[in-house]
Amino acid sequence: MVYPGSFKKLVEVLCRFPGVGPKTAQRLAFYLLGLSRDDVVAIARAMVEAKDKLGFCPLCGCLSELDSCSYCNDAGRDQSILLIVQEARDVLVMERTGQYRGLYHVLHGALSPLDGIGPEELKLDRLEKRIAEKEVSEVIIATNPNVEGDATAGYLARLLKPYSVRVTRIAFGLPVGGDIEYADDLTLSRALDGRREM
Amino acid sequence: MFYLEGLHLKGFRNYHNQQLHFHPRLNLVIGENAQGKTNLLESIYYLSVTRSFRTNRDNELANFEDRYFYVKGNFVKDDFKHIIQLSYRLNEQLKVSVNRKQEDRFAHLQHFPVIVFSPDDLQIIKDGPAIRRRFLNLEGSRLNPLYFEDLKNYQRSLMQRNYLLKEKRNHLKIREYLEPWDYKLAELGSSIINSRLILIKALEKEARLFFDRMTGSLEELTLRYSSTVDFNNNPETTRNNFLNALSKKRDVELKKGSTMIGPHLDDLKVMINGFDSRRFSSQGQKRTAALALKMAEVSLFKLRNDESPIILLDDVFSEFDNSRKMHLLEFLKETAGQCFISTATGLNGLVENLQSDYKIITVRYGRAFDETDRFGA
Ligand SMILES: [Zn+2]
Repeated sequence: MVYPGSFKKLVEVLCRFPGVGPKTAQRLAFYLLGLSRDDVVAIARAMVEAKDKLGFCPLCGCLSELDSCSYCNDAGRDQSILLIVQEARDVLVMERTGQYRGLYHVLHGALSPLDGIGPEELKLDRLEKRIAEKEVSEVIIATNPNVEGDATAGYLARLLKPYSVRVTRIAFGLPVGGDIEYADDLTLSRALDGRREM
Repeated sequence: MFYLEGLHLKGFRNYHNQQLHFHPRLNLVIGENAQGKTNLLESIYYLSVTRSFRTNRDNELANFEDRYFYVKGNFVKDDFKHIIQLSYRLNEQLKVSVNRKQEDRFAHLQHFPVIVFSPDDLQIIKDGPAIRRRFLNLEGSRLNPLYFEDLKNYQRSLMQRNYLLKEKRNHLKIREYLEPWDYKLAELGSSIINSRLILIKALEKEARLFFDRMTGSLEELTLRYSSTVDFNNNPETTRNNFLNALSKKRDVELKKGSTMIGPHLDDLKVMINGFDSRRFSSQGQKRTAALALKMAEVSLFKLRNDESPIILLDDVFSEFDNSRKMHLLEFLKETAGQCFISTATGLNGLVENLQSDYKIITVRYGRAFDETDRFGA
């Protein structure tokens, strides 16, 4: 196969995106080539800008602008409730329900010795500090409903016992063994309603 | 109620090309050893579960030069006919069609359930605990889909925990690392134990009824769950006992590098007159106990599904004395749907006493003959 050098390079780069194979990469490359130069620059700039300005909030772990977290700094949010999720993408799913108006805490993982993840890797001291220092009265645990998510939820519930906060776990209606990411909005809304004390 | 009305075999084991029609209730398959009795029963089993009870390899079933076999069954269920066709060619996927429509091999599973009892089933009494745990797990999953979910999650937790015990045993914080997995193991483990207790109670009731019949109530069968955990009918108590036991065993487990308590190590004790049948029973008692477990499976199946599976008794009939044979036939008549009994010796007039309506098929050199004409249907 003979490709012009820069075309080959572009296709190879696009192939690195998750879920993109050589065929799709070629289609995307032709799409980009069909755009005006300004449009292509705008796309590239948006990528660089996102990379430069976005990161995980040092307090809650959510994806946020580096200078100001749109969750932590939102005065309209209930500062006394904390929802704990495994991944930053789970926050976006929760936000889609439009039901939750409290704050978040992202663990960036779940306990799993086989994957080398223990309590230290989840930086739970950060969570404890947050709960001890802020006026949190309720913690909702929304880790994935599988063995690792459940083990993490149980561990957290016991860890937080000394802090006299109400700890609940969303459970109702989630598909067993699934990921929160794939649950539909209605199911999640119900799950939030049906959370139980731990 | 459903039954197998007709069967067509091509190239299956020692059958070149064989067509047969069956009786909706009782079919006796009579022939000398190694003539093809078991092969016939095997093909019926294969039709139901697309797997043999004798081998895991499909190519062993295709015994002729062209390495091909074909099994077709006409089932009757609720007055409707269903045609199941299976065809196998060497190095190709098994083709399954239901009513002439291609279907996935595993989606087809258990449309027409079959339960088989063969001489190998004696192992459930003779072998180590693993075979009885497998039996409990299989039956438990049939009874309750959540049981299977628990089992899967338990295995996963066990892997996580064993990894820590083995790879991190010298870590300063090992006890802290183990904590969440102790809880998870105890929670899932006690749930599994609780489900097993419920299952065993149901099995025992049915198995005892059968065993009493077979032995004229002269012997007593009991099923007992034997566990590494001090269990209780209250799952909450079991869970706490489980947790306590784990912390007591901590040092030993760290030394061994694996989990030493839990339902993955438990056993179902089949007791005859209060003694463990695995060690203290005669061959005949073992056989009757194994059959009682199997027939309890049939009874539970019937209770749950409101229909009886097809029952295959392969080469076990002749091992029982006349009075037990009689009781077994009676039980099958009352409880079972369609039955296939293979035997080398014939039934010496036993069947005639019990029911006049049945079919005899004789098997010689890989050919089966319908003896209906001779005996009258
Ligand atoms: Zn934040």
